[in-house]
Amino acid sequence: MEDLYARLMTDVRFEEGLNACMNCGVCTGICPAAEYYNYDPRRVVDLVQTRDNNIILELLKSETIWYCGQCMSCKTRCPRGNTPGLVIMALRKVSQELGYFTESEKGRQQFAIKRTVGENILKHGYCVVSYDVDPKSHPEQGPAWEHYYNHLEDSLARVGGELNGKEGPTRKISDDVLQELKNIFEVTGGQDLYDAIEEASELKAAEMNMEFKRAGRDFEYFRHVVTADNGNHQVENEDIRREEHAARR
Amino acid sequence: MQLEGKKRIWAEYQKDIPDDHFFYVRSCIRQTFFAGSEQVFLKIMRDDLGKDVMEDPRHTTCTGIGYHGDVVPFETISTVVARHFALATEAGYKNIAISCVTSFGIYTEILETWKHFPDLLAKTRDNLFKATGREFDLPESIAHASDIIYKFRDELARKAKYQLYDITTGKPLKVVEHIGCHYAKMFPKHGIGGAEFPHVLVGMIESWGGEVIDYPERRHCCGFGFRQYLIQANRGYSISASRKKFESMEPYKPDMIVANCPGCAMFMDRWQYTIKEIDDVTYGGYKTGIPTLTYEEMAGLVMGYDPWEMGLQFHNVQALPLLRKMGIKADPDKRFLAKDGSRLPEPANLINS
Amino acid sequence: MTVMTKHVIIAGGGVAGIEAAGVLADMGHTVSILEKEGNPGGHVSKWHALFPDRRPAGEVTGYLGKRIENENIRFIAGTSVEKIERHGGGLTVGISGGTTLNADAVIVATGFDLFDARRKEEYGYGIYDNVITSADLEQMFNDDRLLTSDGRVPDRIGFVHCVGSRDEKVCNEHCSKVCCVTAVKQAIEVREKLPGCEVFCFYMDMRMFGPFYEELYRESQEKYNVNYIRGKVSEASGTMKKRVALKVEDTLAGRPLKMEVDLLVLMTGMEMSKSGAKLAEASGFATGINRFLESTDNHYGSNMSKMKGVFYAGTCTAPMNITDTISHARAAAVEAVKYLSSK
Repeated sequence: MEDLYARLMTDVRFEEGLNACMNCGVCTGICPAAEYYNYDPRRVVDLVQTRDNNIILELLKSETIWYCGQCMSCKTRCPRGNTPGLVIMALRKVSQELGYFTESEKGRQQFAIKRTVGENILKHGYCVVSYDVDPKSHPEQGPAWEHYYNHLEDSLARVGGELNGKEGPTRKISDDVLQELKNIFEVTGGQDLYDAIEEASELKAAEMNMEFKRAGRDFEYFRHVVTADNGNHQVENEDIRREEHAARR
Repeated sequence: MQLEGKKRIWAEYQKDIPDDHFFYVRSCIRQTFFAGSEQVFLKIMRDDLGKDVMEDPRHTTCTGIGYHGDVVPFETISTVVARHFALATEAGYKNIAISCVTSFGIYTEILETWKHFPDLLAKTRDNLFKATGREFDLPESIAHASDIIYKFRDELARKAKYQLYDITTGKPLKVVEHIGCHYAKMFPKHGIGGAEFPHVLVGMIESWGGEVIDYPERRHCCGFGFRQYLIQANRGYSISASRKKFESMEPYKPDMIVANCPGCAMFMDRWQYTIKEIDDVTYGGYKTGIPTLTYEEMAGLVMGYDPWEMGLQFHNVQALPLLRKMGIKADPDKRFLAKDGSRLPEPANLINS
Repeated sequence: MTVMTKHVIIAGGGVAGIEAAGVLADMGHTVSILEKEGNPGGHVSKWHALFPDRRPAGEVTGYLGKRIENENIRFIAGTSVEKIERHGGGLTVGISGGTTLNADAVIVATGFDLFDARRKEEYGYGIYDNVITSADLEQMFNDDRLLTSDGRVPDRIGFVHCVGSRDEKVCNEHCSKVCCVTAVKQAIEVREKLPGCEVFCFYMDMRMFGPFYEELYRESQEKYNVNYIRGKVSEASGTMKKRVALKVEDTLAGRPLKMEVDLLVLMTGMEMSKSGAKLAEASGFATGINRFLESTDNHYGSNMSKMKGVFYAGTCTAPMNITDTISHARAAAVEAVKYLSSK
């Protein structure tokens, strides 16, 4: 088996993110994901620093590494200068490069991120485009957004912009510029990562017997990864001590 | 709370912000959800402050959301950002003004990484040249756009038409200021005031007559979480983070929330709407929601710009109560107009409408 | 001059300086103690009770006071030592005010400073009400006034271990050694004074290194029901009711924890004293990576400086408790005597 720890060490974020952990817990104490999910960044770092390939492999396949929201609050506080958030980013990269991300429900979601944000970058030159934030799949955006979306040109004109104009907010990114971006992605491994995500996802969809299309978002596997929730992400064990703590708030 | 202690910290974390000649790079989120805000920033800089702010339409996303969504590698984002440096170099600009807070965090992270790993800088130079034929100088300074408004807050205060003042009570408005995580949590020395007691918005608010509220969950992330919002199944993470903040700030009776990160401003507006729909709970004074503004909108109000031309109507929590408090006359009927001036149907279920 | 009438200057009139002076004076040498503050005794004169047996600090201060009641000792208050140099066969000592004194030997006993808790910004010391340091608490014990800032009797007090120690973020990677047992002691004192008050100690490790320390820890649990939570407090915020809301992980339960306390006590660590650091720099004394004075050998040379005739005593070399400081000071005095008799 490949030396996964050595592979992680080639990622500058991992090198910056892990010195050695003394398990003080300031990271978990402040982590928004630890408040919401069954997640503990301290434990993740403690596991990784064993340098044990079997443990790291389990992490790469797990739900655990996908709970972090990358707020980096952990970086501010760690007395050893570690950053669990950066360790997570390095783990996520390896998990996708090696195809392990499809083993977990949360990991499979990377496919949707690639198809939306990832492809927006190369198609439009932006991570997010207004005409893509469809109120039907984003009811939480509310009535104000729905109006804005339904009257995009009028609304933008009101505030001094022009949808796909020559300049200003939401200007159209020209084809030459998009080509430059494409070239950058080719040269730096960005396209390779996109391809790795696609490949593993297509295999997984076949394994799960779900419809898969090589373009677009209107098919079963896409809808599945975006909505699936097995209800196990916030499992809490019986813990009397925890109830006592809750009572003390 | 003792102000002396905070002042000590603020004095230590002062940042050198250039005086003029900025190369502006836009934000995917801000231009999508708060396009007016970016235009307000440029208007304030150029018309009110007489500054030179250049924008090259060939600049793109920095790919930050992709990077923090873990679909874009570090080498790729470094090279995209290097391309922006190349555009700035080409135009003769040494100071970058960054609209997005995540971008600001990323530009800082990349520059810091290059400082400690010069071989990576060399590699990026190679990659950029190979991909685009472009070359670049390192910028002399990078600032978040809010840093720049902060720097000139007193000058703007002198020119201001309104104050962050409640004319109905005769007291300063109570303002919750929210700083995007990627502004200072990664590199506290690069944020005005550092990570624990950031000053960039406090300074603006106080210069413009408002009172800042501190509350226990002030430093808590708004909950964007990148993938935690992008993917529908994960959104519970995002909404509960904001909810925690609302519940914590509510007893202090804030009149408004202001954020320097566009994502935070967007979420704290959207989640108030969503919480109302799910649980029929609203926050703020008379349970009418807490208007959540970008700092540009706050600056624009103070400078007397038309609220609707700034896009304040495109928030779920309408700012009408806030405008009344500040004594700003703005006709609610003029909020939703088409390009030709005709009235568009007003969205239903806005809060405070 | 015979051995019996050599002049030794001691920089610092705290525990180490006074004990070293006492040994030298008992052996007939002339000693001048130069102390920058107005009074002798250093930090211990501010404490209330000392671990492990909780004896009144005043007893040790009294002992030190008696030590300097020796006709061979001159105690000069309000004066700091700024530079030490070799000159001819002896040493010249530059002091504040510009004068220089001559000495045959010098003992550096400049002690420690407590870490400035304001530097751990996330705890809000000096900003939020009811965030205090262990030194502040000790003063409250002296004043017999254990109340919150708005005069309430606390129902719950939290102690944060390792404030300013073991922490790269404030450039102090070292462990300050005595804070853990201090927290245990103070926790017991609180529980005794206020039996209705809950006490939580938030620790990373329990460093009960000295005689009877581990026993004190056990007693604090068995007899006094002090609660120990393994996790370093991540953040403290002031609440509307002037309580302190803290965030921490209970690492043994593997869960984040939020709690409000009435008083949060920061166990601030020891740093090289500022005046000692200035003296070291001016005189060319080597300091370690922890910024304390570096002796010539970690094991058998901990009192020894590279400068002939100069010796180190006490916490200017490393965090120490009072017992070890006194032993260290006596050893420094013996080294000085050996040196003087060889001249």
